[in-house]
Amino acid sequence: MAGRGTNGRHGSRGHAGRTAALARLLHKECIQLLELYRNSESLPSSPVDGGYLVSIPPLVPQLSDAEKISILHAALKECLRLLEDVITREDAEFSDEDSEYKRKWKTVRDRLGHLLASTEQLLVEGQKFEAKVKEELDGQAVSGSFRLKMWIVRVLQDLVHWTGQTSDTLRSLPAEVEKAPKTMSRRTRRGAEKIRK
Amino acid sequence: MQGWVTLALLLSLGVKRSLAQNGLGEPRGLTLNPDLPAQTLSLAWQSDSTLFDLEIFHTEFMNVVLNATVEVQADPVTGLHSWTWHSPLPLECTSHSVRIRARNQQSVSQWSPLQTIPGWDIPEKSYMFPEDKMIPVGSNMTFCCIVNEKEDFKEIKYGRQEMKATRLSRRSYAITVTNQPASDNTGTNVICSSQKFQMLTGTVVFVGYPPGDEGLVCETRDLASAECSWKKGRDTHLRIKQSLTNYTLNGRDCLEANERKTWCSSKMWEENWTLEARNPLGTVQLTDSAQLTDRVHLLAPVNVAAVKVEAWSATLQWSWSVAAYKKLEMVCQLRLFAHELSSTRNYDGPGLSSVVLEGLWPDVDYTVTLRCGSKHSFWKWGDESAPYRIHTKMDRPDALDVWMWMDSSNTGHVFWKPLSVRKSHGALNGYEVSQSSAEEDGRNTVSLPPGNFSYPILLNNSSDVTVAVAARNPAGLSQPSTVTTPAYRADSQLSVSELLGTNGSFVLSWEPNVSASSGYVVEWFPTGCTGLCPIDWKKLPESDRSFTVNSDSLVAGVRYTVSVYSLYTSAPTLLQRWQGYSQEMIPSQSVSELSLNQTGSDVLLSWKATEMKQQRGFIRGYTIYLASAAHLDLIANITDPAVQSYRVKGLTLSSYKFVVKAYTSAGEDAGATVAIKMEMDTDMLFVGILVPLGIMFCCIILFSIFFYKKREWVKKAFYPEIPGPKVSGDWSSPRGPLDVKPSPHSLVHIVKNPEWDFTKEGLFPVPEEEEESENDNMEVDTDSDEPALLRYYNQVVGDGSHSNQVSDSSASSTASMGSTQTEITYAGIQSPSSSQGAYSGGGYRPQMQSVTGPAEPQIEFEADFQDDGLNAGYKPQCSWQLDSPEAENFSGSLGSPTSVTSSQFLIPESSEEKPQPSNTWFHNFLSGKS
Repeated sequence: MAGRGTNGRHGSRGHAGRTAALARLLHKECIQLLELYRNSESLPSSPVDGGYLVSIPPLVPQLSDAEKISILHAALKECLRLLEDVITREDAEFSDEDSEYKRKWKTVRDRLGHLLASTEQLLVEGQKFEAKVKEELDGQAVSGSFRLKMWIVRVLQDLVHWTGQTSDTLRSLPAEVEKAPKTMSRRTRRGAEKIRK
Repeated sequence: MQGWVTLALLLSLGVKRSLAQNGLGEPRGLTLNPDLPAQTLSLAWQSDSTLFDLEIFHTEFMNVVLNATVEVQADPVTGLHSWTWHSPLPLECTSHSVRIRARNQQSVSQWSPLQTIPGWDIPEKSYMFPEDKMIPVGSNMTFCCIVNEKEDFKEIKYGRQEMKATRLSRRSYAITVTNQPASDNTGTNVICSSQKFQMLTGTVVFVGYPPGDEGLVCETRDLASAECSWKKGRDTHLRIKQSLTNYTLNGRDCLEANERKTWCSSKMWEENWTLEARNPLGTVQLTDSAQLTDRVHLLAPVNVAAVKVEAWSATLQWSWSVAAYKKLEMVCQLRLFAHELSSTRNYDGPGLSSVVLEGLWPDVDYTVTLRCGSKHSFWKWGDESAPYRIHTKMDRPDALDVWMWMDSSNTGHVFWKPLSVRKSHGALNGYEVSQSSAEEDGRNTVSLPPGNFSYPILLNNSSDVTVAVAARNPAGLSQPSTVTTPAYRADSQLSVSELLGTNGSFVLSWEPNVSASSGYVVEWFPTGCTGLCPIDWKKLPESDRSFTVNSDSLVAGVRYTVSVYSLYTSAPTLLQRWQGYSQEMIPSQSVSELSLNQTGSDVLLSWKATEMKQQRGFIRGYTIYLASAAHLDLIANITDPAVQSYRVKGLTLSSYKFVVKAYTSAGEDAGATVAIKMEMDTDMLFVGILVPLGIMFCCIILFSIFFYKKREWVKKAFYPEIPGPKVSGDWSSPRGPLDVKPSPHSLVHIVKNPEWDFTKEGLFPVPEEEEESENDNMEVDTDSDEPALLRYYNQVVGDGSHSNQVSDSSASSTASMGSTQTEITYAGIQSPSSSQGAYSGGGYRPQMQSVTGPAEPQIEFEADFQDDGLNAGYKPQCSWQLDSPEAENFSGSLGSPTSVTSSQFLIPESSEEKPQPSNTWFHNFLSGKS
């Protein structure tokens, strides 16, 4: 029994570890993608003002790790949606030319999908969090191609931020949390409900 | 004061009056109508005048941006004057104010009230203008940045380039970019930044080119519709979708065309075609005009197949995917690919769909492709069909090329050349060789595997043998090739000519032969080869008189025997034979058996030529070198290769090294070396030694005889008789010891010296005998400066290591120490024999060394005396006087510790008194004594 339990923990731990590694890899690729875009567009390296597009409840210490992962999962889902929207907009706006930047876009999109699928296995059953997008492209004050470019930068900034958050959270995940991934302690559930409110 | 006021009123009234008199009324109803994307401002007003002054300001700083006088006619319908101003600056950048007045030459009306259009620098937001502008490469453009109230303007960057900004208003800044280069894929970013943010706002400008397409060509593939294509021109650099080039063909949108696809189709053929390419920066029109039949571009034939394949031909069929092709007069090109057998053939006909391929080769793999075009008004070849493979059938091989070579009178080989692919017509199974002779009935047939290309022939009798050789493949047997044994002719039986190669080839020519009804055969093989030699030959028609053996079949440096045979119905007849090298090389080996033979001062070099295989060229001669340490000195060049020896004459006694090199027309070989050390001839040596010896011996004998015969004369001349001493007293006393009372001077003075240290070394006279015994052959050097060193030795007195004579002498001296009157036997009387050493050395010399006194040992002791005593002929020299003055001189030697007064009798200086030895052999010889 002990052996099975250990194996089970190791199995979960292994999955969480792989997910953390995936998040870390994705985080690096998002940084590279942002760098590539800035270089190709001759944009300054400073962040675009306006804060992050995706907003989530604050990750307070009272939240359990599973809840944090659930919240981050919701943020990453929004990031994926924004990313796909960016690709669609960019294809619609500019001619479809193959470049390293375009290839990286697709790599990041695919890996983000894998990360979402991977973190989904770590979520608490029945718990659902939603992230919000503060600004959409259509509602931006700046118009035209420059607005689209700035919005792309902001989406990439969000990607870098949220994949980094997810990577850090997964890396600090203790082993016992994964023991019962589909169940939730009472304390954790209460904390989550609070946040939902 | 009142006067001044009155004057001012009058002037004012006067001006008004003058204006009223000019009739120039102030323009009325000025309206401004901005077109922001176009950056234009349309002005409209009412006035009776046609000439107007216009002024446009940037409202906030009231900077004049336009001050112009324009002539504007009123619209006849509306009565409005309209004028449009194109602003270099986006009108959003700042507010613009306009006023206008009428002008008539120098008279002007009042300015109209200022009309203002507001800029976007009012709201509290950041903007940049213009947005997403598309402009041609090289254009100039002004961009402005409006910063909000809370920001401090920092800079505007055009791409990566920081630009110099000018302030338009309190919140608006502008840059002007001239001669803009083409943009990258997504346009050029213009970014405005504040002190707080690196990127406050921005805009994108797309700088590119109008379409550059060219070369419109329309053609038909199906004899009904049209396909027009063109070449993409210069890159427009416009990647934004709304700026991509749009195409229309004869006014119809060509949706399939884009940046990569440059063709457009039309369902119906039209004789005139116009393609319009348009993008935001410009339009280009391309035209083409042609009849349909002039632009037929056929599709590829389909279903290509060979319906009948033979060894030498095949029938190919195909079909067309367009029914209209069946009536088209077309030309088709068929391309055959095979190893070394590729060819192209053209066929024509209406709706061509099958051809017969003639002239194929048996057992060959062909790959066929087919393409067709319109025969009349040929436009271009249509698409090519997919490759189709044909393999022709086999056929019987061609006849072999056969030759027979005899290596002796009754043995030989029949050779045949391998068949090429073109001639074998299929893989060979083998060969059949049949042999027949006139004297024997029937044929002996032998089957050989395909790898054989020769067969041995043995002639049992003198009759000719005819050999037939045929090749066999699965399709059958080839026609047999026959050859009759040629008569064997050894080279020695012929006058073989020397053949020189020309550029690695042999160029042959021969006199025509009437019997050569079947032509000639040129045969060549390496000279000296026996057995299965690499025989090569070429059969030539009877008309040929010359032939060139190509270098491909010849090896440089190999001697070939080349023969020409005439062919007739019977055996081939040898016409001519040569031997030669296609290309001569230097011999690969030096001469052999190089030797030399010395004869006196001459050396004969001889050698043998290298073997023919190593000669690699005709030996033209030999060169002989004398080798020294550094170089070779040519001493002979023998141009006759038959001469294989050379005599080198007149050599002195020394060591020599000779190098002999054979040379061909290509040069010398490495050379063989031989060395010799010249020695004296032994015969001459004997002669040289014996002859002088004999002469000398004869001379000695002759001299001996002469002197013997003339001995009396010689005696008189060279050795006159010495007169005997004149004795005054009676000297005829009996022999015995001569008791001579010595004079006081002749006594040995015994010096008593009690202080004498016998252990102390001192100088002693050395007895002459001792010295003589040690230096028998030493010449006494009386003139030497070192007599004292020679005469005296450090000696301890009393040392008994002296010779007996010395011991005796010492003994006698010691014995005399006991009394003052010592009896001494005077043995020091000098006899000729006792002074022989000194005499033989330099002749007799009087003993004048007495000057040196004791340094000169003059004592002759008893032994000498006794010897002299034996000489019966001796007569004492009575002339010796005890009181001679010389005796007095002995006193000078008395100073020595043991002073011995020499007892030697001194010979008087007069020749008469010189004692002459009378007992020498020469004396005897001369005197006739034996």
